Amino acid sequence: MPFIDYYQILGVDKTADDKAIKNAYRKLARKYHPDLNPNDKEAEKKFQQLNEANEVLSDPEKRKKYDQYGENWQHSEEYERARQSRSARGGQQEQWYGGGGGDNFSDFFESMFGSGSGFGGGRQARFRGQDYQAEVTLTLQQAYETHKRTLTVNGRNIRITIPAGIENGQTIKIAGHGGPGSNGGPAGDLFITFQILNDDKIRRAGKDLHIKADLDLYTAVLGGELILETLSGKVKLPVKPETQNGSVVRLKGKGFPVYKKEGEFGDLYVTFDVKIPTNLTERQRELFLELSKS
Amino acid sequence: MENDQLIAVDTFCTYYEVEYAFVESLRNSDLIELVEINSSRFLHIPQLQRIERLIRLHRDLEINVAGIEAIDNLLARVDYMHREILSLKNRLRFYEQEL
Repeated sequence: MPFIDYYQILGVDKTADDKAIKNAYRKLARKYHPDLNPNDKEAEKKFQQLNEANEVLSDPEKRKKYDQYGENWQHSEEYERARQSRSARGGQQEQWYGGGGGDNFSDFFESMFGSGSGFGGGRQARFRGQDYQAEVTLTLQQAYETHKRTLTVNGRNIRITIPAGIENGQTIKIAGHGGPGSNGGPAGDLFITFQILNDDKIRRAGKDLHIKADLDLYTAVLGGELILETLSGKVKLPVKPETQNGSVVRLKGKGFPVYKKEGEFGDLYVTFDVKIPTNLTERQRELFLELSKS
Repeated sequence: MENDQLIAVDTFCTYYEVEYAFVESLRNSDLIELVEINSSRFLHIPQLQRIERLIRLHRDLEINVAGIEAIDNLLARVDYMHREILSLKNRLRFYEQEL
């Protein structure tokens, strides 16, 4: 259990008066408050340290104990006395922030002042439960369809519906499925970030899909039909005569579903990759030669 | 009107220990919406999480309503930029992907 220098955390001198401590706390709290730094674990941790430092240094009695025994915290007898001298707490305050649960104060703090202390000068704070983060990996095909999935988060099974069209890196919030609150505070939230795997054949750009289709030379020259495998199944694609290599056709509404807009789809872009025949027979070579002279 | 989706401002103020005037000033700054039914004012319950955040900013950081309004706008911009970065990352991923 390392010693924590509360003065250093607040960036004040040991001789700082109450006003200087309050000002330092306010200034840093405005920088690291979780509401101003959403999804920033470092800021959240820093804010907890600030609260802990402020809790001790803004209370004359606690500050005195800290100044007296802080660096010698291993002297358990003194701390035992300090623990016993904790005064009864009353009142209640709505003061919730994330990353809470029973983990808002360091072991160092709890060894000196007990785990029941809340910030705010002895008032019991209601802490919002810890937010949980989870990551779910989907294939492009899975992201294409709305489906249900059961996740196990901290030993709890949570059944969620994943809407079609979810983006790679997108985070959705499941309210109230984080850690339980303490002292009657609300539960935290569960944040699920989706990673969508690249597909070997199909590339996604937002709501549009891009696919390369191999086209034999004869169909490219004479025209015909091509059967394409897409995320929604097989699609018959007419090929115009004299289709050039690298030319692109757009299939409207055959792209990716638009997130939370049922029935709306992007487009599918097909790029033709004309394949030149190889291993020609003598007869084929003659025919090409004839064509080249015509 | 789905009344079960509303909470009376009086009840809200009692539970959250905030002044009625504070809620009123949030409304005047268009930070929240109030609904009036039979001369009583109500808040939409889905707004609660947002209002809790505004209260925390006010209480924890002693920020006045004008400051909260500025922060709220900046956080909305941060959120927008975060989504923009994500979208650009995904576009970059599209071009980096080898077919």
